[in-house]
Amino acid sequence: METIWLYQFRLIVIGDSTVGKSCLIRRFTEGRFAQVSDPTVGVDFFSRLVEIEPGKRIKLQIWDTAGQERFRSITRAYYRNSVGGLLLFDITNRRSFQNVHNWLEEAQSHVQPHSIVFLLVGHKCDLEAQRQVTQQEAEKLAGAYGMRYVETSARDAINVEKAFVDLTRDIFELVRSGDIKIQDGWEGVKSGFVPNTVHSSEEVTKGGRQCFC
Amino acid sequence: PLVTQCVNMEQRDPGWKLFGKVPPREGPVKDPKRIQKFVFLWFFSDPFLFFCHQEYETKSGRAGPGNPTSPRQSVRKNLDFEPLSTTALILEDRPANLPAKPAEEAQKHRQQYEEMVAQAKKRELKDAQKKKKQLEDRCKLEDSIGSAAQTWNQEILPNWSTMCTSRRVRDLWWQGIPPSVRGKVWSLAVGNDLNITHELYSICLARAKEKWKTTPAPSSETETEDAGSSDRESSLELIKLDISRTFPQLCIFQQGGPYHDVLHSILGAYTCYRPDVGYVQGMSFIAAVLILNLDTADAFIAFANLLNKPCQMAFFRVDHSLMLTYFAAFEVFFEENLPKLFAHFKKNNLTPDIYLIDWIFTLYSKSLPLDLACRVWDVFCRDGEEFLFRTALGLLRLYQDVLTCMDFIHMAQFLTRLPDLIPAEQLFQHIAAVHMTSRNRKWGQVQSASYYS
Repeated sequence: METIWLYQFRLIVIGDSTVGKSCLIRRFTEGRFAQVSDPTVGVDFFSRLVEIEPGKRIKLQIWDTAGQERFRSITRAYYRNSVGGLLLFDITNRRSFQNVHNWLEEAQSHVQPHSIVFLLVGHKCDLEAQRQVTQQEAEKLAGAYGMRYVETSARDAINVEKAFVDLTRDIFELVRSGDIKIQDGWEGVKSGFVPNTVHSSEEVTKGGRQCFC
Repeated sequence: PLVTQCVNMEQRDPGWKLFGKVPPREGPVKDPKRIQKFVFLWFFSDPFLFFCHQEYETKSGRAGPGNPTSPRQSVRKNLDFEPLSTTALILEDRPANLPAKPAEEAQKHRQQYEEMVAQAKKRELKDAQKKKKQLEDRCKLEDSIGSAAQTWNQEILPNWSTMCTSRRVRDLWWQGIPPSVRGKVWSLAVGNDLNITHELYSICLARAKEKWKTTPAPSSETETEDAGSSDRESSLELIKLDISRTFPQLCIFQQGGPYHDVLHSILGAYTCYRPDVGYVQGMSFIAAVLILNLDTADAFIAFANLLNKPCQMAFFRVDHSLMLTYFAAFEVFFEENLPKLFAHFKKNNLTPDIYLIDWIFTLYSKSLPLDLACRVWDVFCRDGEEFLFRTALGLLRLYQDVLTCMDFIHMAQFLTRLPDLIPAEQLFQHIAAVHMTSRNRKWGQVQSASYYS
């Protein structure tokens, strides 16, 4: 039986190669830190349910993209159908921070006519000793682009949940206020199967048995 | 009342001295003794049973110390194990200090006991037959690999140019090239149109090493300017990072591993040989598979020639419009072969780039178990790029039933993370069942037609 959700949001995770995109997502979806992981070629997929309010669940469909610049001509096709994005840089790698601007430009020029709610993520914050980007300057940059900023660590499980949940809440508010609308032919936001009145999983299992075949 | 069951999981060495059974001497077997004993305790109605069950004992296990056998013989002999009636179930009456059972109850318990023994024996026999069959199959496979290697070495390879297109060789090829000749056959089949010599490889490698020396490690202060345009330069850096992420579970390409430097050298040399292509993620897997089957310089030659094939060039240069022609051609054959699944994919907006990119870039070496990937490479070397797409259709055909019951995200996850255990023979049967002609047009025609459309 598929768990029932109110909305499905498609999120895209971008940023330079080896900033830890896959590790962050795997910490969030699988709850563990993968010591070794192979480089993402093309795109990988993850999903998880997030409960933003009691009984209100959002299904996140997470697209994990290849970071190498060469792959951008492939991954840029995936922006259009995303409602949210995590833009990662590695706090121990200054260049990955400098590239944030390029990533944003790239995304903004390929997402038209839609837009993506971005969250700036300074990753690997457990490696404080090797830090090359201060929290202040990252916050300043995020502010300039109207994004939130959060520092995370997949290894130590710091702020991973917060990063995804905060972004989900922000998008949810925009959907609720009508600023983001569900549209045919757009995969960014999909509506779930259950009326808003359902508040407990018990009611859900009673009423909402559906076949997805 | 209590039943104790002791199950001895080790076949060759029961090592359990109950009921006067002496543990048989181990033959000279390579693997270390691994004895696992599981003792389960549970409560049972009345019979005071002590149940000790030894799974199997091998014939060779009974060979006395004066009967030395070679390791190979002993391995072979171990195949012939048979179930022994070691299921020692002992039915005991109640201890003397307790009142005796009524006759009727005793009879019932005896009957239950006999049923248990019969069932245990039946299970034992079935398991033994299954194990025997598995080992026989493995032996048969080993024998056939051995004789195939001989055929390849003695008959085919010396007469390569005349024999490589013959029906018999093509059939043998389909069944999988024996690992001992695999590298040689791949080299011959891929060819060396680029005329790369071992010397050229050395030159490219020397140049790469020069570059590594002169490129300073990235530091926070020195390279603040050209952040965006650093793809080419950073590819040297990326190689380093990716090497340790290549087949991490094999632990041979990681820093300190035996093939770390070899992989580094080949990828570095390639960036000097083809600076216009450079290093692209996915390449490290191709180089790694070649390294596992060929010497370094030959692996480089095969690597450069393989990447020079039109399909590989299109992908590794990330020539998007050219890649789209491959996807379009793929979809023509997809619809033709699996119309129902094709419609299901369309309905869910699952486009081929989502799963094909990884499969094609790494030639399945990241997504299939390595031995199976090598078999795909075998036929890819024989049939060319067409086979990569045929394999994709074979995989879709194999998993058609599960896929049609999934939604977008489950399909995407399934296809980008294929099951760990893929039945090789079944997959190849499905690949064989895929028709690679569409309205009398072959793959190449369909692909180039979509190029011009």
